[in-house]
Amino acid sequence: MRAPSAYASCLLIAIATLCTTQGAGAQTIADELRADVRRSAGMYYALPVTETTKDTPPPAGKKPFYINHYGCSSPYYLDQPGRYTAPNRTLARADSLGMLSRLGRNVLRKVALLRKEAHNRTNELTEAGKLQARKVAKQMTERLPEMFTDNSYVDGRSIVQNHCLLTLGEATVQVSRAHQPMHVDCNGSHSYQQWMNPPDDKLEALRQDTVAIFKFTAFVDSLEPDFTRLAKTLFNDDNYVKHINAAALGRQLFDLACTTQYSESVDDTSLLELFTPDEIHRLWKIRNALAYIRYGGCTLNGGYQPYVQRSPLWILLHMGDSIMTLDNPVVHLRYTHQNVLMSLVCLLELDGFGVKTACLDSIETLGWADYRIAPFGGSIMMIHYRSDKNDPDPMVRVLLNGREAQLPIPTDYPPYYHWQDVKRYYLRKLYIYERERNYE
Amino acid sequence: MNKSMGNRKIIMKEMGSAIFLRRLELAMVFSFSHAIVFFISQFLILPTAAQPVFDIIKQSPTYASCNYDVYPDSVPDNLTPAPADKHPFYISHYGRHGSRYINKRSGYDIPYKMMVQAKGVDELTPTGKRVLNEMNHILEDSEQRWGDLTEIGREQIRQITRRMFKRFPEVFADSARVAARSTVVPRCIMSMESAMMELAQLNPRLNITMDASKRTQIYMNHQDSKLYRTKLTPEAQKAYDAYTATRLGNSRLMEQLFKNPDIIKEIVDESFFNYYMMKMGLFQMNTHFHMAERAKQLLVLFTTEDLYRMWQIDNALWYLQYGFCPLNGADYPYSQRFLLRQIIADADSCLRLEKPGAQLRFGHETVLLPLICLIGINGYDLQTTDLDEIEAKGWWSSSVFPMGANLQFIFYRSDPQDEDVLFKVLLNEQEATLPIATDSPPYYRWADFRNYCLAKLDEYEKTR
Repeated sequence: MRAPSAYASCLLIAIATLCTTQGAGAQTIADELRADVRRSAGMYYALPVTETTKDTPPPAGKKPFYINHYGCSSPYYLDQPGRYTAPNRTLARADSLGMLSRLGRNVLRKVALLRKEAHNRTNELTEAGKLQARKVAKQMTERLPEMFTDNSYVDGRSIVQNHCLLTLGEATVQVSRAHQPMHVDCNGSHSYQQWMNPPDDKLEALRQDTVAIFKFTAFVDSLEPDFTRLAKTLFNDDNYVKHINAAALGRQLFDLACTTQYSESVDDTSLLELFTPDEIHRLWKIRNALAYIRYGGCTLNGGYQPYVQRSPLWILLHMGDSIMTLDNPVVHLRYTHQNVLMSLVCLLELDGFGVKTACLDSIETLGWADYRIAPFGGSIMMIHYRSDKNDPDPMVRVLLNGREAQLPIPTDYPPYYHWQDVKRYYLRKLYIYERERNYE
Repeated sequence: MNKSMGNRKIIMKEMGSAIFLRRLELAMVFSFSHAIVFFISQFLILPTAAQPVFDIIKQSPTYASCNYDVYPDSVPDNLTPAPADKHPFYISHYGRHGSRYINKRSGYDIPYKMMVQAKGVDELTPTGKRVLNEMNHILEDSEQRWGDLTEIGREQIRQITRRMFKRFPEVFADSARVAARSTVVPRCIMSMESAMMELAQLNPRLNITMDASKRTQIYMNHQDSKLYRTKLTPEAQKAYDAYTATRLGNSRLMEQLFKNPDIIKEIVDESFFNYYMMKMGLFQMNTHFHMAERAKQLLVLFTTEDLYRMWQIDNALWYLQYGFCPLNGADYPYSQRFLLRQIIADADSCLRLEKPGAQLRFGHETVLLPLICLIGINGYDLQTTDLDEIEAKGWWSSSVFPMGANLQFIFYRSDPQDEDVLFKVLLNEQEATLPIATDSPPYYRWADFRNYCLAKLDEYEKTR
């Protein structure tokens, strides 16, 4: 397939973005948050693994022969003990003075339970995390059984972070169950860092751009709810509320509610229920905007943050080409941080998530939602199809978090795209970036 | 004392297996993995029982590197049949991670910097220049891989797991439970996962769970700070210095590499240089095939006598620091009292179950060696102040903790109601002896062992 002209290409991208954002639904984010309040955790939301999946049949005669995957860890116990100790301290002090309401005492009990549960478990997968990692892998093997046969070569890699290593392990053990005998290997090495979590000091310095920080601060000020309401429900004396930092406590409790929703000791949404739907929505918007500034195409800090992940994109392109010479199915599984996945999704412009804007108020309208892009257990799977080894027109289908994704490239057989078009589009994108940056 | 891991031989039979050939074929065309899955351990020669250490090293030079020794890729299949009516029903295990890259760059920096400095003052011979070139390649290969599990390491673990499964299929039947636990160190996690992947291939119905938590470090990787402080008392140091005085140094090596050894001694410490250069060469046998080839360029500098002397030096130090050496108070092995108690407690629970399955733990050699000494397996609870005696009495650390070393407790009974539970211990997959009485060795009564260990631990804790 020939590549479209630059003008047509831009027009198509604009239409695609518009369709996606409309389709994904600016209004539906509020609906989605109402339907499952856990989504307000954004990147800490665990992708649900559904039994039913939509798989558009490939073009006649084409069969999958390669899975090129980047995924992130399943839920794990986060570091930073301050998450637990800070709200615990405020509530425990009030309790010692008899200032907690019944609800407040209940919240204190939950915070203490969460603190105890997470103690000495930094970077360890939660039980829910282990189960999710296995389910995601099982779904992959069931959706693409042709990829897991006698002659398959499955190779899993991880950065050297225990939660990623453990997610990799759960996944590869599950894949090992899919077919016997089959070659399955896994490894973690510091040497993978350069193409699974590449450093980019220059772009990372831009991330904290003054304008971006200023705009974000104003955005927070305009949105952050008045946490006095929450404080009045937790404490039994309104005068006491005046003496505590209600805003800090509110933020701490929301953060704890988001990051511990896969707890074994506390019901997963019970802390989130402290907040009204409107407060949840506002607080999510703040988290989402921060993720967009850090990892998305936000133009306040230049709009280049997704390019931090150009090495993973190079790997996707390079491997997509190299693997065509092989006879047997190959699966490359890679596990890294969620921010890597998020920026890579934006760089690939999957489902319109490459959208660029300086207006933080419009992110939601554009359908850019962190929990849609890189939740716990999220992944990009670029699946390559061909009729045989000599097929001159291999095609790819991309699954973003298990769902067929739209690429910013024209195709006559969506969601299948001609590999040559895909490669050409992203190579041009990378080369343009290099030219632009070299002259700065 | 059982001095070796069994008959050593050149292992070619695995090379004929379909899985091996497929891996090799794929690896040869698969640039992504940058891997040559051509396991050098497949070519290692393994020692025979009752061989002197010198002969073992002559056959298998890596034996000289003690804890950097490469695990044999096959073991003799000579297990003693269980007493009538008894069947294996539970395995409790503690294993070291597989072969890895060296932990830190500093391990290589000592000889490397000496060589670079010697080059700076134009004191390298042509051989010295060639060796420095090889060292550059070794450093380049190891960069950003410090402490990583290697391909050889993953294959070792898979092979050990496969043999465990084949030897004791009853334990891994149907949907048996396999609870795997690792320290939080990545190479141990990867070893655990390699083992579990192999088991899932062998029986996909197994109920496998994996865990790597800081909470279990107290017994999975306990380094006792109090005992650590007395690991090398002045008295022990004095004995060690006397023992090594005649064994350190290698003037022949200096003459090979440096134009004027007398001058270069101003910047190169001969003893350090000899020791670390040998370690650097031997370590490469753990990484991958082409690095092993490079390592040979370094190892040709050393004679078997050189390697043997280094083994003596290292072995003595391991004994002093991790064994029951009276010069240090003869108590360091008690650092693993929490692990031994956990193994016993886990077994107590599992023995009540109809199908307990297996509990596999993945950790470190600095845990495994003192644990084996603490239990007194194969006479490793030896106590002596005479360092010349440890070799003669078979206290050979290389036989305990090569990369991938493992200790397996295999439990037997006739049925779940049978209270006369027997067990045997496999050290690196070979039947081992225990310091308690039995009428059917290598099988021992679990109750006898349990009482023996708990009494020993109680006695120690009373005095601590």
